[in-house]
Amino acid sequence: MLHLLKLEWLKIQKHSTTQILLILYVIALPTLLLAGKSFNDLPQEFINRNTFYMFPTVWQYLGYIGNWISFFVFGFIAVMLVTTEYQNRTMRQNIITGLQRREYFLSKVYFILAASLVGTLYYVICGLLFGLAHTETLSAAKMMQNTDLIPRYFLMLLSYMTFGLFIGTVIRKTGVSLFLYLAWAFFLERIVRYSFHQNIFPGKSIHFYPVNAASDLVPFNSPLNRMAEEYLEQNNFSLFLSPTEAVITSALYIAVFLFICYRLIQQRDL
Amino acid sequence: MSILQLHQLSKSYGRIKAVQDLSLTVNRGNIYGILGPNGSGKTTTLGIVLGILKNDSGNYEWFDGQYGNKALLKIGALLETPNFYPYLDAQRNLDIVAHIKKVKQPRIDELLKLVNLAHRRKSVFRSFSFGMKQRLAIAAAMIGDPEVLIFDEPTNGLDPQGIAEVRETILRIAQMGKTIIMASHILDEVEKVCTHAAIIKNGKLLASGTVGAIINQDMMVDLRSSNNHQLLRILKQHLNIRQIEEKQDLLSIQIADEIDPAKINQIAFENGIVLGHLNARKKSLEAEFLELTAKG
Repeated sequence: MLHLLKLEWLKIQKHSTTQILLILYVIALPTLLLAGKSFNDLPQEFINRNTFYMFPTVWQYLGYIGNWISFFVFGFIAVMLVTTEYQNRTMRQNIITGLQRREYFLSKVYFILAASLVGTLYYVICGLLFGLAHTETLSAAKMMQNTDLIPRYFLMLLSYMTFGLFIGTVIRKTGVSLFLYLAWAFFLERIVRYSFHQNIFPGKSIHFYPVNAASDLVPFNSPLNRMAEEYLEQNNFSLFLSPTEAVITSALYIAVFLFICYRLIQQRDL
Repeated sequence: MSILQLHQLSKSYGRIKAVQDLSLTVNRGNIYGILGPNGSGKTTTLGIVLGILKNDSGNYEWFDGQYGNKALLKIGALLETPNFYPYLDAQRNLDIVAHIKKVKQPRIDELLKLVNLAHRRKSVFRSFSFGMKQRLAIAAAMIGDPEVLIFDEPTNGLDPQGIAEVRETILRIAQMGKTIIMASHILDEVEKVCTHAAIIKNGKLLASGTVGAIINQDMMVDLRSSNNHQLLRILKQHLNIRQIEEKQDLLSIQIADEIDPAKINQIAFENGIVLGHLNARKKSLEAEFLELTAKG
């Protein structure tokens, strides 16, 4: 496993787009949360502006910001992780050099696991620093509250990366894959859910889609989100998947996407 | 021990049969040329044995199966275009190859010197000329001192100097006692470098064996004298002539056995004919190749 991880590291260490995306993540995650300090007229619900930064709510707000950034940063990295190998024909060369197809697949899986882990670790560090600096009466219980978001945050990163890996492996072209990754998340999935699925099988099942499930792992269900309440009144089911539902759905999609990637990598001519 | 055995290998792309029932054996120490016109299935065959293409039927075995699915680690290959990470320098690209091959001390400096790229060690691959890329690929193929080297059209797209350099490199490697498998449509290349050859066309094997056996031993002799007619009559009495061709005053004959050209000169002189021109040559692989592929 370390052998394959090192291989990915050798490949990616000088890849400038990946570097830029990671730097973006490192800067944007705390900066966007700090931007909360500059809001002057906060809604009533935020009695204390510190709610963004203190335990236990910091996990939620930081997680929500991380959700947005990670969708781009980690998803794009995963897409390019495979498309560049196809476009430079280096995957083909790797196999000729003696890497087995199975090992190639595993090296990508190990890499997205490691990247998701590092991304989560950074989220934890930022969350701890904000929390420690802004919480007035610290207690272990307060610190631990909401930390179930941490493993879900990890699963969210892994979901986005697996989805990126899947699209990149199927499409093989960087530009088209990135476009499809964005288009699926912003339009196609919603069109499928609300224009087709809802008309045929109306009900909660319209939520069980890959990007929706992944983003519901760390949802923005704060007091600010009136839309969610209205949705619940109108539809008799929540706008969001419950954490358990989101975890199970995401895990299943991860398994399915990885399985398809594995089959394609095993069978395809290069 | 055989290095590579193909048993009735076949592969189609839709209706096009790229390789059909191809069987051949490459033994240790062979410099094995796979000859065929463009599109004859050479690259497809190599692609299958290198694991990047899936064959429809038949099978192949490296090293009599003794390394299992790790066989490719013992093989250095350059297939078609050189493929590297464009944003990494020469050194780092070779590091990756060494890492995959699990070579502890890859001696990359030495290899870069061998292919004349030591001065560009720190340049990114993107900035290389085609010839340099090709040479880097040869260096990559040699990492870990593999037992077998595979070159597919190694001189394709190179300028004359590049061609000379690559051929020289291959000959140098051959002298180290490696097994080399080389695909080419350039006959001259195969004739100069290889000990064994297989000729394929439309994915089918037309002939295989030692280069000597594939090329028949006939000799072509060009002659000129003041009386070609008389000369031919005399030579017919002494030699086994297969074919005669006359171009203006030049007489070309094909002789079935190898013969010392001095002998021809002697026969002519003893019969009172002075030769104005005498040129003996082996029938070229090119002529042989055209003959074979035309039949196929």
